[in-house]
Amino acid sequence: MIDVALASLIEDMIEKAGAEGVVEFWQRVGDNLAGRMGKEAYLGWTSFNVAVREARTAFSIEGEVTPLTDMAITDVDGDVVGYLYAMRQCCYIPTIFRTRFAVGRMSPADKAVTEEYNENVHNIAVCNFCVFHERFREEIAKNVTVAGNPLACFLLATRGWSGETKISSKNVVQVNINEDHVRALLRNYECVYALVLRGARLKGER
Amino acid sequence: MPSDSRMQDSNPFVEIATHLFLEDLAGKVGVAGLNNYLVSLAKNLAAAMPREEYSSWSEFIGAVRDSQSILSTFEEVRPVTERCMSTLRSPFERGWREYAKRVGSFAPVHREVADYYNHKVRPTAVTSVHIVLHTFREAAALYTQGKYAEALPLLRKAQEDGLKDGSLLYQLGYCREVVEGKHLTRDLGGRASTEEMGDAITAAVMQ
Repeated sequence: MIDVALASLIEDMIEKAGAEGVVEFWQRVGDNLAGRMGKEAYLGWTSFNVAVREARTAFSIEGEVTPLTDMAITDVDGDVVGYLYAMRQCCYIPTIFRTRFAVGRMSPADKAVTEEYNENVHNIAVCNFCVFHERFREEIAKNVTVAGNPLACFLLATRGWSGETKISSKNVVQVNINEDHVRALLRNYECVYALVLRGARLKGER
Repeated sequence: MPSDSRMQDSNPFVEIATHLFLEDLAGKVGVAGLNNYLVSLAKNLAAAMPREEYSSWSEFIGAVRDSQSILSTFEEVRPVTERCMSTLRSPFERGWREYAKRVGSFAPVHREVADYYNHKVRPTAVTSVHIVLHTFREAAALYTQGKYAEALPLLRKAQEDGLKDGSLLYQLGYCREVVEGKHLTRDLGGRASTEEMGDAITAAVMQ
């Protein structure tokens, strides 16, 4: 029930700290959670992707993550430096359904926080939980090494419970993935992100 | 009632995030402030839910048992007797397990705010989220109207939360002794201490 009650808490917080205050709260919570989870090291992408598939990585805390191993990300030399990952169901969707079941409608606070984030931070959120989520993944990626290199996370696309989709043009260009390919993935997945070796010379950065 | 009529489970990750949200909030407003937030949000949640009316006590008990009452929206409630309900599992169990597995030991603030609540309000909380649960049950009962005279006061007045065999066993007890007004704490309109009310509830449940 605490997940459904969270909406009331956010309403309270908006009154006291404003939507921008709630965004800051969520981001700090993302930092804290990532900081409290241990470091992980993998020999290479193969072992990391197997660990993701078997739900052994820190990223698996969110729910079932699918490594899209047919969608590799390459650097300027053509070496594989990362992959796309996707979640079939956003981890906040059960809470949205539970709220609609128990209360009947989503709190306007959810939309207020989402809009604040989209306008001032990154236009990718489809619910207030995305705010926490994006920061958490970015921070947790720093604690995971593949072949000795820490990772970086780029949130690429999201699909909300109402069917609304968001694609981060900036991040899609940076990892050099065709936007249409990402859009196609949203038919089957609700959240798509890229994990790449931190510091890799991505084609999109040239 | 078939199980598919129940609300689907939450993703435990959201519950973990909420626990961390509360920890962060406690850093800003302190234990007393967090207690106030939790009480307030539970009341708001109950107020946002649909009101109910039952024509008889047995109809009400049936709705609770079949997960059709707001009192059994978030937890499976089983009547032990006509007047005593129990829940076999905490609604927070999955979130706690995932928290312990992925994050580690709980931040002390969850216990501290429960201690504050137990001292100031009534001795029924084990962790911070029980404040939400117990306040919600009480507030939800206010929205459960019954033509049957006993329904409302019985629901409103008594709650019990116990520890057995080293594992948490959550019991919601609607105890005659408490609702008759002999052992109510000041927030419920009586003059008893929290210990006296706790002892009365325990005695009633053990009968």
